[in-house]
Amino acid sequence: MKNQLAVSLNCPSCGGDIFSSESGVIVNCRYCGSTLCIENDGGFNTAAFKNKLDKDSALEIVQNWWKKGLKARDLKSVATITESYPIHLPFWHIETRTAGWICGYEEFQATDSEGNNHIEKIYREEMIFDGTHFSEMACDPSDLGIQSLQNFNGELYFEDIGQIPSLDLIVDEYEAIEHAKTDAISRSRASTNISKITFEKLHSLIHKKSMIYYPIWIVRYTYQNYAYFVTIDGITGQVLSGRAPRDPLYQSLAVTLGTSAGGLTSAGGIISSISYQSEVGIAGVILGLIILGITYLFFQHRSEVIKGDFKERLSLSVSEIDPDDASEEVIV
Amino acid sequence: MKIQQAKCPKCELTLCMESYDELLYCPTCRAIHTYNPPTIDQISYEIAGFPEDSPKENRIYVPFWRILSEFHITSGDVDGGFFSKMGKELEDGGRNGSIYIYMPASQIDKDAFRYWTVNLTINNPSYEIMKDFDEVKRIPTIISQEDAIELTDFVVMILEAENPGILQHLEYSLTVNEAKMIYLPFITGSSGLHLVV
Repeated sequence: MKNQLAVSLNCPSCGGDIFSSESGVIVNCRYCGSTLCIENDGGFNTAAFKNKLDKDSALEIVQNWWKKGLKARDLKSVATITESYPIHLPFWHIETRTAGWICGYEEFQATDSEGNNHIEKIYREEMIFDGTHFSEMACDPSDLGIQSLQNFNGELYFEDIGQIPSLDLIVDEYEAIEHAKTDAISRSRASTNISKITFEKLHSLIHKKSMIYYPIWIVRYTYQNYAYFVTIDGITGQVLSGRAPRDPLYQSLAVTLGTSAGGLTSAGGIISSISYQSEVGIAGVILGLIILGITYLFFQHRSEVIKGDFKERLSLSVSEIDPDDASEEVIV
Repeated sequence: MKIQQAKCPKCELTLCMESYDELLYCPTCRAIHTYNPPTIDQISYEIAGFPEDSPKENRIYVPFWRILSEFHITSGDVDGGFFSKMGKELEDGGRNGSIYIYMPASQIDKDAFRYWTVNLTINNPSYEIMKDFDEVKRIPTIISQEDAIELTDFVVMILEAENPGILQHLEYSLTVNEAKMIYLPFITGSSGLHLVV
């Protein structure tokens, strides 16, 4: 994550626009020069990215997504949009400073002038003095097929954050700090490339911490009495995750080709191994099984095209996002 | 969330700064404060004067934390190094001692941090203490007093590693007795910053 996350504010002294790091507690007004202190009840700043997409844009993105890949070709004409709404996903953004020392040695095999091999050690002392950024989802959006966010550029704001719809927090401030420290130390350790560590003393200091709310759109639709949904990044407009029915023609072709190829190859392999007792026959059997496996993978979600990082579940409840519609499930 | 103008707790005047700084300086009562939401706490500091023969142009103050610390080495596998070198000056054959450690407090790269830490700790600067900055600019502080105290033993390790020798193991205890902000006078030039005391 870059360090340039900036929040727009108004100076309480002159009303001028000021910009601050989203996690800063001291801000300077460029117009009147006032030094401003930011105080939060929770001990950390909270900001939200502005949602750049309106409803029409979100629906247009979904319709474009339907056209791509092996999805049902009649989605645009048959599917019915049942709901579309924006929510914000909370994530922690923590800046750490790691300082310390890692000492140890590398071993390698050397040969002396008489041709004898022996192990030599090269001792190393590595000083660590790094600043790192850590981000972690503070909620569990895996039911939406989202495990992490890639974009951290956008316009931030402070106002009315308590009013925006969001998901419940499952990672508190202290857990996030511990994760940030662990991440920073493991990165530092990896950066030294010392294979045998004999001494290590690292300090990971929390420089800044804040909670950022990231906007996404959830669009739900039905197709032939089955419910599906798509999530869209509210800043970049990218489809983050989604489910869509697979096209029957592609499905039929895959079944036919997959099973035919798998069956023929396996049969050929079995015949070959019995007749000639050759390894080629065994390889043929294995290849046939691989083709069958690929065909199975293609249909393991029955007739769906899936984008995103979903947990392995038989059914996906999205009721927690919309309490008014707790009964709706997406069948997989 | 509240946004409010920073005011000096001593004289109640509104504070103004040109850029972000961990430390808030009140030019009226000459107090320096650190903001730990929701409180503003005063810290002790010294401003080192520019020598009379130093250039009048391109002057700048650079912040350092001066940390008075006591240490005790319990065991170590150190061949050479800072502690061995200082053995004559310290108690118990160089295993116990009390030193002033200087630590850069501004945004600085790893090599510069190491350079100034080693040089100023081994050769503590001597200077005349001034009452104010005399309109000389100062580089913002980004390392808080709390962080500086936590980083003290890291700095001790820098000192140990700086001298010729192989460090593979070191156990020690360290006690920080004081952490004071020291603004040291520098001249900016084409080749970087030059300390003038």
